[in-house]
Amino acid sequence: MRFSSFTYLVGQGLHNLRANRLMTFASMGVLTVCMLLIGAAYLLGVNIDAMVEYIGDQNETVVYMDQGASDDQIAAADTAIRSTAHVVGVTYMSPQDVLAVYSDMLSSYTNLQDAFANDNPFYPNYRVVVDSPDNIESVSQQLRQIDGVYQVNAPLEMSKVFVSLQKVVSYACYGIVLVLAIVSIVVINNTIKITVFNRRKEINIMKLVGATNGFIRFPFFVEGVTSGLISAALASGIICGAYYALIRWYAENPSNLSQMFGGQLVPLTNVWFYLVGGFALLGFVLCGIGTATSIRKHLNV
Amino acid sequence: MIEFEHVSKTYETHNDENVALDDINIQIDDGEFVFILGHSGAGKSTFLKLIQMEEKPTKGRVIINGQDLTKMKRRKVPYLRRQMGVVFQDFRLIPTMTVYENVAFAMRVTNIPTKKIKSRIPYVLSLVGLEDKMDRLPDELSGGEQQRVAVARALAHGPKLIIADEPTGNIDPEMSLDIMQLFEAINKVNITVVVVTHEHELVHKLARKYNNRVIELANGMVASDTSHPEVARRYAARMAERENGHDDYEDYDDEE
Repeated sequence: MRFSSFTYLVGQGLHNLRANRLMTFASMGVLTVCMLLIGAAYLLGVNIDAMVEYIGDQNETVVYMDQGASDDQIAAADTAIRSTAHVVGVTYMSPQDVLAVYSDMLSSYTNLQDAFANDNPFYPNYRVVVDSPDNIESVSQQLRQIDGVYQVNAPLEMSKVFVSLQKVVSYACYGIVLVLAIVSIVVINNTIKITVFNRRKEINIMKLVGATNGFIRFPFFVEGVTSGLISAALASGIICGAYYALIRWYAENPSNLSQMFGGQLVPLTNVWFYLVGGFALLGFVLCGIGTATSIRKHLNV
Repeated sequence: MIEFEHVSKTYETHNDENVALDDINIQIDDGEFVFILGHSGAGKSTFLKLIQMEEKPTKGRVIINGQDLTKMKRRKVPYLRRQMGVVFQDFRLIPTMTVYENVAFAMRVTNIPTKKIKSRIPYVLSLVGLEDKMDRLPDELSGGEQQRVAVARALAHGPKLIIADEPTGNIDPEMSLDIMQLFEAINKVNITVVVVTHEHELVHKLARKYNNRVIELANGMVASDTSHPEVARRYAARMAERENGHDDYEDYDDEE
């Protein structure tokens, strides 16, 4: 294509955008809202993931050894635990260590403290950190098999809840994205159809004087894709601003619940390029599809 | 050159089929001026649609400048249409564009460089005598003038073949002669001109004066051809055959 033709066709597309501005405005509004919802779903998903990961990192499976376990048994168990797959951290706490931890709490009960010092009731134990909540169950089963292990306490219930929550959220997000993608395509399809209808006479003349289909389609693509990209820019601005405000509010208003999840949301610097890039891509692809499907019918002259 | 070899075209409707062209053989050489004459329903429009490849023949072959249209790929159609210029009964000008823009539009969308468009338009508009009305809108012009704009548009990309579909159908009788003479002038510079019309009187007057070829279509067949007198006899024979074969067949075209 010649450069002069290219600039002419782009100009025609932008002209259509203006000539059809009410409909363009409406379709860009719907597109922007769709993108905002998709963005919100994405941010929710990202934050749930981050929280699950945070909780997962905090997981601590406690392996209690028999009270009378010999030093050899404890050393052997140490090796066995460390060689178990998916175990990322192991800390040994002897009964004395445990007592030391509790001595602060027991400072006002000196009698009890003395009694414990003479006859330590605590079990020697290992604090084991597993790489992912998914693996806690299988790891704790393996740990139970080790010689000299008295009991294994794993945060199983908690991890199960979070893993299933994560799954539900991600499926819901996929569903939302799919539905909104279809809505966007239909809206753009309709808008372009109106432009095509308004220009059907010109299209007919273009066909008869020998314009190629690519030439006829091009301005409509410019129109569709431009409105997609404008919507993407609007949605990016709105969602980044809103998310920034939310992050600040969240950090300034700590609660027990928020502390449990690490006390902060995923920072904007980690997500903004996914949002902007994703919106631009969505605007481009969805509007491209919407445009392509709307003008096919009129080209068969 | 336009060649029709045993071309038939049948349109299928939901419970019927309508024969528009029935085994037509026509050859139009480069530089010829041909009138295609016929009443409505005789197959004139179908004839033009086949040339422009808006339709494909049911049987037979249509060959234009050596290209067999029945074998042509869809994406080659625009390039076929650029080899000809077409003038329509209803002008098909874009009312929101000036005369200049209307001609420029047709050139732009066929990928002609801006420089060439700028130099060519004043020339083609002067050919049709409208160089001083370049900035007018079509509505400000008379029917005859609008049709001349359409002729300028058809000539703009320099085709060797001009096709006119009832070019005088929407304009005053006085202006009709004007338009037809414009086509005669175009033909003088060795451009093939095919004019399709139902205006018998006008055609016979012009054909006598300029010695043009007249092909008459009737009932989807070639009824007569001034270059091939034997065609008329063949047509009469086929019509007679049809009459005898279908005694109860009501032939509406008999009234002509």
